[in-house]
Amino acid sequence: MATALRAAAAGAAPPADSARPGHNTWASAVVRWLFIGVSLAFLAALLIAPVATVFAMALARGFEVYLTSFADPDTLAAIRLTLVNAAVVVPVNTVFGLAAAWAIAKFEFRGKSVLITLIDLPLAISPVIAGMVFVLLFGLHGWFGAWLRDHDMSVIFAFPGIMLATMFVTFPYVARELIPLMQQLGNDEEEAAITLGAGGWMTFFRVTLPRIRWGLLYGLILCNARAMGEFGAVSVVSGHIRGLTNTMPLHIQILYDEYNFVGAFAVASLLTLLAGLTLVVKTLVERTGYHGR
Amino acid sequence: MSIALDQITKHYGGVPIVNDVSLDIGDGEFFVLLGPSGSGKSTLLRAIAGLIGVDHGRIALHGRDVTHVAARKRGVGLVFQNYALFHHMTVADNIEFALRVRHVRARERRERRGELLRLVSLEGMDDRLPSQLSGGQQQRVAVARALAHKPEVLLLDEPFGALDAKIREELRRTIREVQRELGITTVLVTHDQEEAFAMADRIGIMNLGRLLEIGAPHDLYSRPATRFVATFLGAANLFLARSSADGIHVGAATLAAGEQPPDPREHEVVAVVRPEEVAVAATDAELGPGYLAHGVVDELVFNGALERLRVRLENGAAAPLLAGANGAAATCLEVTRTQHEQRAFEVRVGQSVAIGVRRAHVLPTPLSSFAACAASVAAAEALARQPLLAELATRMKTRIAVRCEPQLGLAGPRGDAAFVGATVISSEAGAAQRSAWLLGHGAREVLVLPAPAAVPQRVLIHWLDEAARAATLAVSASVLRHVTAEAVYVGILPEETRAARRPYGLRSLLDARSEAQSLHGLEMRTELRFGDVAQELTRRLAEAPGQMLIVGVGELARFAERFGTLLDGGRWPVLLVHRATS
Amino acid sequence: MSLRKPSVLPGFGLTLGFTTFFLSAIVLLPLAALVLAAASMHWSEFLAVVSSPRALGSYRLSFGASALAATINVVFGFVLAWTLVRYEFPGRKLVDALIDLPFALPTAVSGIALTTVFAQHGWIGRYLEPLGIKVAYTWLGVTLALTLISMPFAVRALQPALLEVQRDLEDAAETLGASRFYAFRRIILPTVLPALLTGFTLAFARAVGEYGSVIFIAGNLPMKTEITPLLIVIHLEQFDYRGAAALGVVMLLMSFVVLFTINLLQAWGRRRHVQAAR
Repeated sequence: MATALRAAAAGAAPPADSARPGHNTWASAVVRWLFIGVSLAFLAALLIAPVATVFAMALARGFEVYLTSFADPDTLAAIRLTLVNAAVVVPVNTVFGLAAAWAIAKFEFRGKSVLITLIDLPLAISPVIAGMVFVLLFGLHGWFGAWLRDHDMSVIFAFPGIMLATMFVTFPYVARELIPLMQQLGNDEEEAAITLGAGGWMTFFRVTLPRIRWGLLYGLILCNARAMGEFGAVSVVSGHIRGLTNTMPLHIQILYDEYNFVGAFAVASLLTLLAGLTLVVKTLVERTGYHGR
Repeated sequence: MSIALDQITKHYGGVPIVNDVSLDIGDGEFFVLLGPSGSGKSTLLRAIAGLIGVDHGRIALHGRDVTHVAARKRGVGLVFQNYALFHHMTVADNIEFALRVRHVRARERRERRGELLRLVSLEGMDDRLPSQLSGGQQQRVAVARALAHKPEVLLLDEPFGALDAKIREELRRTIREVQRELGITTVLVTHDQEEAFAMADRIGIMNLGRLLEIGAPHDLYSRPATRFVATFLGAANLFLARSSADGIHVGAATLAAGEQPPDPREHEVVAVVRPEEVAVAATDAELGPGYLAHGVVDELVFNGALERLRVRLENGAAAPLLAGANGAAATCLEVTRTQHEQRAFEVRVGQSVAIGVRRAHVLPTPLSSFAACAASVAAAEALARQPLLAELATRMKTRIAVRCEPQLGLAGPRGDAAFVGATVISSEAGAAQRSAWLLGHGAREVLVLPAPAAVPQRVLIHWLDEAARAATLAVSASVLRHVTAEAVYVGILPEETRAARRPYGLRSLLDARSEAQSLHGLEMRTELRFGDVAQELTRRLAEAPGQMLIVGVGELARFAERFGTLLDGGRWPVLLVHRATS
Repeated sequence: MSLRKPSVLPGFGLTLGFTTFFLSAIVLLPLAALVLAAASMHWSEFLAVVSSPRALGSYRLSFGASALAATINVVFGFVLAWTLVRYEFPGRKLVDALIDLPFALPTAVSGIALTTVFAQHGWIGRYLEPLGIKVAYTWLGVTLALTLISMPFAVRALQPALLEVQRDLEDAAETLGASRFYAFRRIILPTVLPALLTGFTLAFARAVGEYGSVIFIAGNLPMKTEITPLLIVIHLEQFDYRGAAALGVVMLLMSFVVLFTINLLQAWGRRRHVQAAR
């Protein structure tokens, strides 16, 4: 599944066919521009137009109205919740990703391929199911529902549930980036460090980490983008309580359903900028020579 | 002629990858294009196949001009180094591909496939997928596939590159047998000289995009015309020697002149001594007139049939060794000896031995060595370190001597020794005067170098007098073999004679071109200009950077005066070739 | 027989232990809850939920629109990947980076933006309206949203495969007499077929589970424009956990089938490429 994340983003395209004898250059040019034209038209309708709409709608009633829409306390609360949520989820998943990559890439053991498949599993599962499983566990009628109520704790319709659901959907991102990278780099340098007397932590921080830093950053930004933008899973567990359990994507829905288009698209514009930033960082990382898997 | 190439040129990003190649390959001939990687041989092969268009020149297959014909209509079969088999198709489908394209009926296709599989000894493999075959078998399938449509020409692009030595040998034999049986004209590209020797009827050797020499394997090995071929095709020790009426003098050794009638005038030449033509003995007396020097055995490698020695020449050896074989330093001589010779005289590392030369081949190259010349030793030494000069000397595998001439450019006499090789001076003010002085005192080639100069991309050629024509062409050909540059002959006629003498001008251009081609294998472009010679040449040189000029000079009268503007402080290298009117 | 091969590197127990624990806590245990919740239902009850007309209608839309979106993406994805791999044009790098936008763009944003663009008075919708084509709030809109969010999967599956098609193969076909179109049909297409199918499956898998972007553009009419994930959410909102779990299990099974298919396809593709690399 995650192979699709493989940013082929290949290097330079090979030079155009340099005038082979007997090839109809005119026909080749037509085919070429047809392909480029269709590609651009497809992207324009599907990507460019929607993104442009986000900003057009957000700024439809002027820049001032756009800015004031962020003054709304509920909007601010949604932004805060989204940031806090990402600040918890991304580091946890990063630690997990590093541990999983170390175990899988550095050692040979039975059941390894099963483990890899299981780590990939959340990518293949609908986000709605990802949210639902936590409702089934911690919801009022769920397995731990009664116990939680008795102890006056809430997971569903509260921050812990949002965090768990986000963690589920973003679970594989860092690990999927690091496992193939570390497998490809091999164990030689780490083994050399160990035989030279370095400890495990020192080996990790001084030898492994510098070599995987671009892959790690790559996985991190993808994980972060998904964590901040997740809708389906979070929607199921959040309960949509304004100012309390609404993340930015959920808040967009509420504003949109209330026909507060400027407000909805204003929040959407922030997330769009975040997506743009993610792409920029991703492109920069790829420039360093690191290509996603 | 099966394949006729006429002045094929192909540039990539302004750099000529294939540079003015002309070649005729006969019916049924097995021709091998041999060269180091990057020499342009694969590009040339792909141009013949039609996979690459050429910038200039014509390609004819069996008399049909195919320069602008698509690859699929050329009727050639091409075999790739990495096989390029269609992996989703069985062996049968791969072989029948060309027939399917041509809508050949199934029954005929099957018959032809059977025939071809027999030919490459793969009977019964029809239904295998390429992934189920070994590398050697895959390449056999590729050969069969390339032959399916009965092409008139078979092209093989390093077909053994990815195979083990033993399988390679086997496949070589198969291909040679198939080729003989079908009598198909074949061109094979390789960088492996052993492979070339084993398979070729004729070999063409390429370097830096130029086809340097063509010939039967034995001829090319025993009588190479260029330094590159001498050293690339087998090992060679290169010496600076002297040729005179009584033979060739390599240091103390005197040898018969061999096949070429010696130039009666004594002059410096480059001599090739193959490692197997070096004799080793206990004393110089045993070697007779072939005795060269004493030396110490530095290294001894026994590899079965032959023994390879590296012998360090003792200090004071009179023969300047330019380059030892196989990249050895210029003080070590490479020697190979048979078992028989080893038994006759056993040697150990560290032993002092007498060295002799049995046979030397003189290269017909007119540029033997360089001598950096200035009025002071310091200036001459500085000139000898000039990067372009150093680069040329390295490429030509020759040396740069340092020569001080206190009277250089003045009225006084020259030093005692005659000028040998090309004399190099700087292009600072007074260069014209100094050149005239050198030419007048017996220097035959003078190279005028500006302080910073890049390896030229274009070499302009011109001669002032017919007397210098032959020598200028020979020197130009020699220079152009070592740089990736295009050659342009610039014909110049006086302004006032424009209309009347135009036909004569054009004819002389064409004559020059065909002479360069037939005698030296040098392809030149031609240009005709009108006006004063020195002015036109200066103007032409100023047009673009990276140009070099080679000028033939006969008459020296008023030389410095006429060429002051061109030579004094010139920003371009100029090589003057002087041959007096006889 | 030992569990692992010996290695001088430390940290095996720690990292594998943590990995397994975390995986179980976050992914496996919750999924087990889902399966158990569904298993606690009586067989007939389960069947009644998953084969209700409303559920069947939602499958039809979810799977049908996803298959259509994946097909569109394979076709246009091929054109895009080909353009990016084979042609040099101004802005190529930008276009290449843009392909990943649907990964990075939150689905809610794509949902409201697409709806706005294709609504009756939207930038593109207004030109389709006179032609009688309604996109927003119809199955067409669902397909469009699914096409958008699954687009990168198809392109990124095809791109490396097209890069790997050796130019030599095309050259060989040409010297053997094949026209460019023939070589494309008989050589290039079969060579990238595994990647093409993988791209389809990946895009399909992503599309089937999608929720965020679709609910904005779909209109969400039962039987007509209601996708299966939405039906699950509706069950949950009515606190019908077992019904939701039953539908969830159906979708989960679907995911496993897809995962399995992808693994098979990739193994097939690898098998065919092993020798190409040799």
